[in-house]
Amino acid sequence: MQTPLRIDPAKVLADIATFQRKLAAGMGYLRDMREPEYANTPRELVYSEDKLKVWHFTGHGKATAKVPLLIVYALVNTVWMTDLQADRSMVRNLLEQGEDVYLIDWGYPDGADRWLTLDDYINGYLDRCVDVVRERHDLDAINLLGICQGGAFSLCYTALHPDKVKNLVTMVTPVDFHTSDNMLSHWCRSMDVDLFVDTMGNIPAGLMNYVYLTLKPLRLNQQKYIGMVDILDNPAELENFLRMERWIFDSPDQAGEAFRQFIKDFYQGNKLVKGTLEIGGRPVDLGMITQPVLNIFAEQDHLVPPDASRALGKHVGTTDYTQLAFKGGHIGIYVSGRAQREVPPAIHQWLRQRA
Amino acid sequence: MADPASDFIRDYQTLAQQSWDAWARQFQQQPAVNPFAPPAAPAVGNDTLERTLAGLKGYFDWMQAAAAGGAAQQPASDWRQQLQQMFGGASQPFAQAFGGIDSAGAEGFVRQWQSWLQTVRHSGFGDLPGAHGPTPAFGLNREQQMQQQAMATALLESMQATTRYQELIQRTNAQGMQRLQEKLAQHAEPGRQIDSLKGLYDLWVDASEEAYAEIALSDEFREVYGEMVNTQMRVRQLQQRQTEQLCQQMGVPTRSEVSSLGERLQALRREFRASRAGASAGHADEIMALRRELAALKRQLADGQAAAPAARKTASAKSAAVPKKAPAKAARKLNAAPGTSPRKRK
Repeated sequence: MQTPLRIDPAKVLADIATFQRKLAAGMGYLRDMREPEYANTPRELVYSEDKLKVWHFTGHGKATAKVPLLIVYALVNTVWMTDLQADRSMVRNLLEQGEDVYLIDWGYPDGADRWLTLDDYINGYLDRCVDVVRERHDLDAINLLGICQGGAFSLCYTALHPDKVKNLVTMVTPVDFHTSDNMLSHWCRSMDVDLFVDTMGNIPAGLMNYVYLTLKPLRLNQQKYIGMVDILDNPAELENFLRMERWIFDSPDQAGEAFRQFIKDFYQGNKLVKGTLEIGGRPVDLGMITQPVLNIFAEQDHLVPPDASRALGKHVGTTDYTQLAFKGGHIGIYVSGRAQREVPPAIHQWLRQRA
Repeated sequence: MADPASDFIRDYQTLAQQSWDAWARQFQQQPAVNPFAPPAAPAVGNDTLERTLAGLKGYFDWMQAAAAGGAAQQPASDWRQQLQQMFGGASQPFAQAFGGIDSAGAEGFVRQWQSWLQTVRHSGFGDLPGAHGPTPAFGLNREQQMQQQAMATALLESMQATTRYQELIQRTNAQGMQRLQEKLAQHAEPGRQIDSLKGLYDLWVDASEEAYAEIALSDEFREVYGEMVNTQMRVRQLQQRQTEQLCQQMGVPTRSEVSSLGERLQALRREFRASRAGASAGHADEIMALRRELAALKRQLADGQAAAPAARKTASAKSAAVPKKAPAKAARKLNAAPGTSPRKRK
């Protein structure tokens, strides 16, 4: 039998030398490099409440879409993933397509926000944000784009306030939390969430990040940084890498009560698909969603497995349901080159057909 | 007799090590310019930096060891043995690749307890009251004794749970090696052979992650993971309770008190919004009722206006037809004509 290893000694030494050289070069680049900025597409503040802000993107031209689009992001991480850098900005691409884009920045909860519930977030904050946009455009209903946990919020909101939503787009949104490949859900099923929240209060962002890293510990804790050494002598790529690092680790704490309810009702109870979910004492029935729905998910998503998103089609009440599978991961769906080419145009076309 | 090749590798390794150490010092000593750790980075952020550096160092050490060891021997007499030398054994840099992840997490959970724990260990953990199960407590310090026992029990349970978790993680390491061998066996044909350390490393990562995912999705892992988190929370909760008692004695507000205030405040905010929304809804109802009334009045008025000309027309037609019936009205009209009013005349 042949050996599968055919490693040339000279190549090994060359690899080590290259590794060393890049580390040495990287020392200089990293020392001089400033914190990378996000894309910061021009925007105006149209509403704020507590730590929440609603931004309206002004863009360079006038929007052609008659109905504005409000982006509802997750409470985990920040919404700036959608406007990460100039050439990787979903927001910018949506503007270029002609959409009139708003987004909610939930802010960074602290001790004062410890008791915010899902009712406060969905029937409170989110509802008031929707009202602000509706009033600005003198419309009864606007378009919603919910991302990840924000997608689950948008589904709940649409089911509870159907008159205020014209079209609903969900991206990498978990719906069925009990698919066999959902590692996060699997892990937290045996957790005593009451003990956890009663003890921790708000859930620290660092702890959340740690859990995410342990989903793929070698890739995310080691292999990724070994890959970084390859780009240490390339300032542009290094800046992109560090910008992504900034986004990953610059994340908000989770308001304790909302976290407790989300884990218990969604992750543990899977109540969204069982039809037993209640928000603020009102039942959430996905069957009440009769608006057109576009559900976009990522085929290589390790945080929200595709099946967890696909399940939406079986539960919404609408007859106008469209599903779009993207070849990429949970983050790549916003920032990869393919995403820039495929996702915003697909959203725009779908909305335009339902204007 | 000196072997020039060995000397070269040894010298190279020394140089490389010095270079690495300089790189690591650069970032450990200057956190202000470290992109991984902002100046006010929380403790967990520093963990990330440490893990990053440890990860790079582990890879670097492994490459060096592979260069000095069996990786470069051609052809390999027994590639499985060669693999074992590179990835197996306690000395290889990745032995704790997965094992480290739990320690970082555990540190995050009970970081502030480490010094306390060390003190306890130095004094002999087995001597702690409650370490061998609860015992009756008496007298004035009964409550404190009970709390100490509860803490000892919780710590013991937490350590046991963490040990079970570590055992599972070690199983991942072993199964990862097994999978790596299986994957490598598929690369035996000429043209598919692994020809670089990086290629071998990437394959090892694939194999290890697959093994980890399989274990992490098992029922056993779920139960152990939950137990580890729950027992750590129990330790933390007891620690908070003791700290709060100390604060109360010193007259310092506690987190529970602040949290209770926050809860009440949030409830009040909700109530306020609900009543305002209710009042708005009440006003809206009233406004809607008034609008309906106004609309009805307008309709009546409009109907009246529409009816009036018709009535006038009818009246005119009637008066033309029956003039004798309107002398008084005609006289009033005459009196009311411009310039003919009695007041004007006055």
